[in-house]
Amino acid sequence: MASLGELERAVMERLWAAEGPVAATELRDQLADRGVALTTVHTVLTRLEQKGFVRHDDARPRRFSARASREDHAAELMHEVLGQAADRQAVLARFVGSVNDDEARMLRELLAGGPTG
Amino acid sequence: MLPATAVALAVLAALLAWPVPALLARARWPVRDPLVALVCWQAVGLAGGLSMVGALLVHGLAPWGHSLPEAAWAVVRGHPATDPVRGDHWVALTLAGVLAFQLVGVLVLSWVRIARTRRRHRELLELVVQPGPQADARLLDHPAPVAFCIPGARPLLVLSSGMVAELDEDQLAAVVAHERAHLAEHHHLLLLPFVAWKAALPVLPAAERAHASVRELVEMRADDVALASLPGATPRRTLAEAIVAAAGGSGGVPSGALAVSGAGVRARVVRLLEPADPLPPAARWSALAAAVLLLLIPTALLLLPAL
Repeated sequence: MASLGELERAVMERLWAAEGPVAATELRDQLADRGVALTTVHTVLTRLEQKGFVRHDDARPRRFSARASREDHAAELMHEVLGQAADRQAVLARFVGSVNDDEARMLRELLAGGPTG
Repeated sequence: MLPATAVALAVLAALLAWPVPALLARARWPVRDPLVALVCWQAVGLAGGLSMVGALLVHGLAPWGHSLPEAAWAVVRGHPATDPVRGDHWVALTLAGVLAFQLVGVLVLSWVRIARTRRRHRELLELVVQPGPQADARLLDHPAPVAFCIPGARPLLVLSSGMVAELDEDQLAAVVAHERAHLAEHHHLLLLPFVAWKAALPVLPAAERAHASVRELVEMRADDVALASLPGATPRRTLAEAIVAAAGGSGGVPSGALAVSGAGVRARVVRLLEPADPLPPAARWSALAAAVLLLLIPTALLLLPAL
């Protein structure tokens, strides 16, 4: 059986691809090739709701939709990564911090063996 | 009477709160051996905290006995003080408690806050990343050239599609090797005490300086480890090229953190292109011995009978 993390991804893929809100039974049918039970789908949806990625409406049965697009999530993450304050390096280790244009030009000159002023 | 032990510890604390970090931050040798320098910084931080709290504790408990273990034991057993307990003893004890609580508390708090942010990032990442070009690296669809790793029990190494587009295969391998080194050597743990120290003692300029130095040294150490695993004739140049490409390509970035990283990135590139000679073994061992001594002195002062 697939791990919960993998299922979360699969469910999000379906929600992102869907035109509108989707019921849990529809998700189960779409994930039929994975042999997922309806309770498992609900478990996954609850986890995703707790993480703030999914919301449901008040229809009966409940229908679920993604709170933000994949691009929005990627952009939110990159905003944090790129804009991280100095002490955020403890949260994630970034290969190189961003430098301003002057610094970038100086670095390229350094690499070219040119004036390093 | 102030026990000589308390005075010695206070002097040590004062030295470690300002002149020693200032000297170490300004020294030139750490660039030649970041690992040894990192060990020294850890010793400075630990010995600093130990001597600060220790000096107050030894003075505060002096009326109960001639050494810290003896006095602490007397207090635990409920024995009365043998010398009169004055106001300054109580003040010292209170300060020791507050300081110890502050240092440990902020460390725990930083850890919790960092862990929470990391978990959030990991949750987001697990939804949006795809398998990357390297086995353990994930690909994030974004034009800015960025690479980073999230340490922890389930580490995550992420490359942006912009980074993959910007770099050739060797340069990309250098980036991944650098991030792998961070994860393998648990650099986030070396950094944590200094993040916490900075937050706990914002009035101490040395805390800020120490944090900046350790941050830079950790990057240099990861560069060194990465170099050892890189193929090709000129791994140093390959890594330097990757650094320059990644540093210059993320236009439109919020300006808050920019000035901080500029000098550090430059230092990394310079030492890759024009490597200094490695530290001679004698110097290396002296530095390590100094670090051990730095930890032994306050420990001995705390445990041996008061002078």
